[in-house]
This record gives sequence, structure tokens and C-alpha cells, in this order.
Amino acid sequence: MSASSWAPRARWIALGAAVVLLAALPYLVASFTVNLATQALIFGLFALSINVLAGYGGMITLGQAGFIGVAGYGVAILTTQQGWPLGAAIVGALALCVAAAAFFGLLLVRARGTYFVMITLAEGMVVWGIAQRWQELTGGENGITGVPKPSFAQEYWQYYYVALVVVAVCTLLIARLVRSPLGLSLKGIREAEDRLAPLGYDVARHKLAAFTISGFFAGVAGVLLAMYNSFIGPSDVFFLTSAEGLLMSILGGVGTLTGAFVGAGVVIFIENDVSSWLARWQTLLGVVFVLVVLFAPDGLVGAWARYVWAPLLRRLGAGAEAAAVEAATSTASAAVVGGDGDGGRAAVTAPAAPAAPAASATASRPEEARSS
Amino acid sequence: MSLHEFGLQLMNGLTFAALLFLVSSGFTLIFGLMRIVNLAQGSLYLLGGYIGLSVIRSTGSFWLALPAAALAVGALGLIVERGLLRRVRGRPMSEILLTVGLSFIAADLALAVWGGDPITLDVPAAIDGRTEILGVTYPVYRLCVVALGLAVAGGLWALLERTRIGAMVRAGVDDREMAEALGINVKAVFTGVFALGALLAGLAGVVGGAYLSLFPGADTQILTYALVVVVVGGMGSLRGAVLGALLVGLIYVFGQALVPNLAYFVLFAPMALVLILRPQGLFGRAG
Repeated sequence: MSASSWAPRARWIALGAAVVLLAALPYLVASFTVNLATQALIFGLFALSINVLAGYGGMITLGQAGFIGVAGYGVAILTTQQGWPLGAAIVGALALCVAAAAFFGLLLVRARGTYFVMITLAEGMVVWGIAQRWQELTGGENGITGVPKPSFAQEYWQYYYVALVVVAVCTLLIARLVRSPLGLSLKGIREAEDRLAPLGYDVARHKLAAFTISGFFAGVAGVLLAMYNSFIGPSDVFFLTSAEGLLMSILGGVGTLTGAFVGAGVVIFIENDVSSWLARWQTLLGVVFVLVVLFAPDGLVGAWARYVWAPLLRRLGAGAEAAAVEAATSTASAAVVGGDGDGGRAAVTAPAAPAAPAASATASRPEEARSS
Repeated sequence: MSLHEFGLQLMNGLTFAALLFLVSSGFTLIFGLMRIVNLAQGSLYLLGGYIGLSVIRSTGSFWLALPAAALAVGALGLIVERGLLRRVRGRPMSEILLTVGLSFIAADLALAVWGGDPITLDVPAAIDGRTEILGVTYPVYRLCVVALGLAVAGGLWALLERTRIGAMVRAGVDDREMAEALGINVKAVFTGVFALGALLAGLAGVVGGAYLSLFPGADTQILTYALVVVVVGGMGSLRGAVLGALLVGLIYVFGQALVPNLAYFVLFAPMALVLILRPQGLFGRAG
């Protein structure tokens, strides 16, 4: 068998290995680590919901924890105060979350770049303010305890599987979404918002749809988190949670699906493990934030693609795919972290993405011939 | 609400507005000139308050704490602008994220140094009394806060409109490249304005620390208010910051008196209205 025929399979082999590892995790490691993995999955989904906006739509949000709040408090209030069964409460909480996301989104459709960031921050803080102040409804600073878990997932490892399945389904949905026409027009908004309207795109409607969908997935993460902790409190909704979600997204690599989970894993590890020997772990998070912005705008997954995965594929004889891997990660981050936020300058780099694979496909043919 | 209570809340609203103006004027100046959304502005406020606390504890003088904290935070702003923000100039998203990272670090180090208990600074004895105004007995200190807010607003207006440096800043706001071509050292102006914005935040920290309280999270809270102020007033506009601070200060105080549970939500209403009707803010420029 030729080396080149292995290359397309390498991605599937890696994915398969990851699935097997995740499925077998509770049999491999202790409960502490399984719980960390559960948290990483939940926050990975949260980071991914930010990624839908930031990585694919170029819209950076700092209020996403607000949706954790709406959905998390929703399920907590409906189950503990209103006596709803858990399943109905989850549906109700997610519906509430979608309504809130649509409402917040309406205020955002005309905002872009830096304005977008500021308004999302203020919106998130409004939810926090309600969580913190509306004592009778939210319990104020004490939050709400006693959020139930599903009856079939009382044990830590059972809940891990619940989180795994829910997060996997959501990730598949998001993966589909970013390849859908909506996902493509989101990329258009990221690259050159000004040019989409003359082409007949209803930019406002696309933004609103993206924001609402993103809010929904953040809400799913919120429900999972409230059930995991059996608790929801103002700190879950605070600005720091939003900022951490953004950090996870950027640290892993914006515009990638795996990046959100890698970023979440690293941040959760710092929060839970490093914090046991380093009191100033939050300073460490801040330093990581600054370093990533300054030196690694395409994040860990971007660095992995550039320095490990692409050279590996190239060695296996798949130059075209290697170039595509590099191009895909670098344009997304250029448009978000490195870009000017209004899409103008980033648009210059846009043609590079489709052009690169085609160009290198022809270039790599002689190589393939030689290797086979 | 009785007339007396109305008067009291009106004064509280004006006091809060003055404080909000101190924080958001720096924020809006920095944005107007440099297009940087400084999300560490709240951290600078909190650090200013805490530095003031340390100065008061070691020297016993509030009057020394004011300039000391303002200058220290101003110097910090200078270092941040020179050392970090300059490296990502022209990439607004990177700049925002950088200031978010810095606010993480500042919040954590402040917690390590000054602890997590809410602290209120002692008001100096000379202005600690109460006085009669608008039929209300009102703390003198809070009247001084209003006076300081007015003085800073007047000072900034004079600086921007009546001095050579102000002309350079305005030129930089209007057309950076042209200003540069005319021989204005825009880089130095940038650094100066950023340091000035930081200085004002540091000053506000001491002023605010003596009538609100300083605690971990106060940074994000004041930042949120400042954001609402500048979104309502219009980013980059000094007049907008004055009007936005007044609106937000009064609405917040009256909201808290009338519907305490929803004070935050009430605060959000003017922002929502402005965003729907006039997205660039009341005094912001279109586009």
C-alpha cells in the first residue's frame, strides 16, 4: 500500500483513537480525572459556542456566560422552586435561553467589531446583575443548590457519559452548521461584512441566527454545568467565566472544532490541578492569555497543525491536504485575533484559503508519483 | 417617594454620575484617539483604590493618597501602553484580548495583596460632615465628588479645546495619518492619552473607594457601568461621557431605590434604546 493512501485516513484514525479513549476513560483513570474530563467537555462546548461566533463569524463575545446563567438558573428554578420534572425543566430552560439570545442578538445586529464586544459584555453583566441581586428568584450570592441530575446518571462516571454524548451530539451539529450555507455566510461576515450586503445577503438576519444558535449551545453547557455541580451561582455567570470561555477558544485555536476542547482542557487543568500547588493560578491564566495574543494567535491547534500535523501529512505524501490544514487554521485566526475586527484587512487574506489547496495539489503530484 | 427622598436620590445620582464620568472619560478618550477598548479600565480603577488604601494606611493622609494612586496607576498605564499594547497596535481584537488578560492578572494580584474583604476608605475629617443642600442633609464628601467630576470635565474640555496638546489629540482623532504627516508625534500623543486615561481611573478608584467599597469584582462592575456610559453617550465623545454618566448615574440610583431587584436591568434599558434608535450613541459619529 502506498504512503499517500494513508494520508486521508490519518485524520480518521486520530479521530477514532480519540473516540475510543474518551469512551474508555472512566475505566482508565480515577474519579478525579473523570470529573475534570466532564468539566472540560462542558466548558469545551461553551468555548465552542463562542467559537461559532468568533472563529466562524469573526464576532468576539464577552457575555457568553450570560447564557450559562439563563439556562442554568432556568433549570435550577424550574426544578427546585416550580417542581417541574427534570426533562421538562431542561426544555423550558433552553427555550428561555434561546429567547434571551434572540433578544440580546437583536440589539447586536447593527454592531460590529469593538462595539459588538462591549455590548455583549454589558449584556452578560445584566444577567449576572439579576443573578446577584434578585434574591427571591435566584438566591442572590448563595445561588441555588439541589439541581437534580438525571435518575440514570447519579454516579460521577454515568454523568460523564451523559456529558460526553450531549457534547458529542452538539459538536456534530456545530460541525454541520459551519459547513452549511449559514456557516459559509458567517465566514463571509468574518472576512468582509461590507461586501456581503451588496451581494444580496441579509447580514443582520445571519448575525442574529448565529448569535441565537451560539446562545443555545452555551445554554446546553449551562444546563450540563448546573446538573454537574448540583448548583448554579452568580460566579458561574460572571464576566470571568465569559472571558475564560474566550480564552479557551483562542488558546485552543479559533475556527477549529477541536481547539475549543483542547483550550478547555488546558484551562480546566490549570484551575483544578495547578491551583493545588500554585495559589496565583488566575495570574497564570492571565499570562497565558497575554502570551497567546502576542505570540500564538492561531492557538495550540494551529501550532499543532503547523508544526506537527502538516509536516507529518507531507511526509506521508499528502502535500495538498497539509497545505489545506495550514491554510484553514491560519485564515480563521488572522481574521479574529490578528485581524482588524472590521473585516477590512482580513479580507485581503481570504483568497488564500481556497487557492492554497488547489495550487499545492498540482505542485505535489510529482512527489506523489515518486513516492508510490 | 417623598420629595425629600427624591432630593436625596437626586444627589446620590449626581454623585454616582461624577464617579462614572471619572472612569469613563479616560475610557472614551482612549477609544476616541486610539480605537482601543481598554477592558482593563476597571482594574486600573480598583488598583487605584487599593494603592490609595495602602498610602492611607502607611501615612494616614487621604490627600496624599489621591495624587499618589493617580500617578502610580498613570505610570502603570504608561508601561502597559509602551510595553504591550504597542506590540499589537492596529489589531483592535488583539488589543481587547490583551486588556482582558491584564485584567485577569490585576484582579488576582490585587486579591493576593489586599485580600478579598470589602474595604471602604476613610473620608478625611475636613470633609466628613454633612451639610444642607436642596432641602436635604447630604455628606460633604459626596458633594466634593460632584465638584471633582465637574472640575475634571472642565479641565479635560479646556485641555482638548484650548491647548496645543489638545489640538494634537484632536488632530490624531480626526485623521491619524494626516496628523503624522504634519509632524505630530502621534505615538507620543497615544502614550500620553493612555496614561492620562489610566491616571483618571486611578483617581476615581480612591474617590470611589471612599463612598462605594473596594472588593474583588468591583473592577468588572465599574467597567460595566463605564461601558454602558460610553455606549449611550457615544464612543470617543467627551460630551457623550458627561451625558451618559448623568443618565446612567441617575437611572441606576433611582432604579435601585424603586426596583432594587432589577437595578441592573433598568440600567440596561437606556443602552438598549440607544442601540436600537441611534447605534453610534447620542454624541458618537456615524460609521
